[in-house]
Amino acid sequence: MCASCGFPAAPSHWTEAGAAEPHDRLRSRFRRSQVLRAVLPSYGLSAHDGGVVPGIQLSSLTGGETIVPNLEDLWVAAERMCGRAVDPLDPRFTGTARS
Amino acid sequence: MTGAAEGRIRLTILGGFLGSGKTTWLRHQLHAGAYAHAVVMVNEAAETPVDDALLGRSDRLVVLAGGCCCCVGRDRLVAALRLLCDERSRDGSPADRFDGIVLETSGLADPAAIVEAIRADPVLVHHIVVAEIVVTVDALHGIAELRGEPLGRRQIEAATRLVVTKVDAAEPAGIARLLATLKTLNPDAPVEATARGSAIDLPDLPPAEAEDLPDLAGAASAPIFPIRIELGEDVDWTAFTVWLSALLHARGDDVMRAKGVVRTPAGRLLLQSVRKVVQRPEILPPQPDREDDTIVLIGRGYTEEQIRASLDYFVRAGRR
Repeated sequence: MCASCGFPAAPSHWTEAGAAEPHDRLRSRFRRSQVLRAVLPSYGLSAHDGGVVPGIQLSSLTGGETIVPNLEDLWVAAERMCGRAVDPLDPRFTGTARS
Repeated sequence: MTGAAEGRIRLTILGGFLGSGKTTWLRHQLHAGAYAHAVVMVNEAAETPVDDALLGRSDRLVVLAGGCCCCVGRDRLVAALRLLCDERSRDGSPADRFDGIVLETSGLADPAAIVEAIRADPVLVHHIVVAEIVVTVDALHGIAELRGEPLGRRQIEAATRLVVTKVDAAEPAGIARLLATLKTLNPDAPVEATARGSAIDLPDLPPAEAEDLPDLAGAASAPIFPIRIELGEDVDWTAFTVWLSALLHARGDDVMRAKGVVRTPAGRLLLQSVRKVVQRPEILPPQPDREDDTIVLIGRGYTEEQIRASLDYFVRAGRR
């Protein structure tokens, strides 16, 4: 358990395996936020990770708010908050909506 | 008389559904010294082989990529086996000869069709005897596969030995139900339990009934196909994992298997998933001659164009 934030120390998630050094980890968290900010708004959701405390803050336009430890939990929480799964094969991402 | 005494080559067929643990089991067997003088053949449905990177311990390794060897890759399998038979007949001293072949099939192969192909070939039928058909069954996803996939049932029925994998990760009630179901499909085959490739004792199991498997004879299901995605220079691990984790959450029952080797700042990572379960990536030693940064997705219910366009969207996110 981390004394400052109360998060239990867990083995890192598979999505975080690509960064071994602290600076790579931080860069990866910022990049993760960047991608999430491009993907989530069309579902009425937004994500924030300032790189200071562990976890990703996920909030909805309706005032819902939660902190999740990793991407896997983020998609579960996103589905709960907006009522459907964020599907990468949705036409809004694959571009077929425009044709 | 055994196959070896007759002079025929003993062939072990290793089958099992996508991601059921075939390579893990074989890797452990090789590590423990089994099949030490055998030729290991690995067949993969996708164009890009991944499993051979893990089987470095084998004496000799033959890779048959780009087509499942029970159907489209059948001729290639027969040709490769004939070559081995030729070579063994030519080699003079018995000491130099390999003493068997282990064929690891793709997860989409029906072992019975391979046995049939060998029996139907005028050369192979005299040189090869099928010694064993080992089929791995995933303790976590086995029941779901048997319920929905006719192929999963055919693989079990063809087995002479069943290996239930990932026993450490499954609930005792689920394991008991799976074992009861396997008994109804293939009552003869002995069943072993393994975790990460090594044999373990089964936990205490509650009494369980076999799963009532639906009749799939008339059910039309879309074919399962592999897609190979090359991750170019512009694809970073982070954007890729945001995409893949979302894809597996939303479409985990369609994307049955993902595997590949990806270069990251932390090293070469072996990425593997079975449905929604992603194994913690293993860091592989450097192998300069290998083609990395390629991921193979095996599944159904989507098109290759959708997958590529979607990944592209995620990778370009924030960079436009």
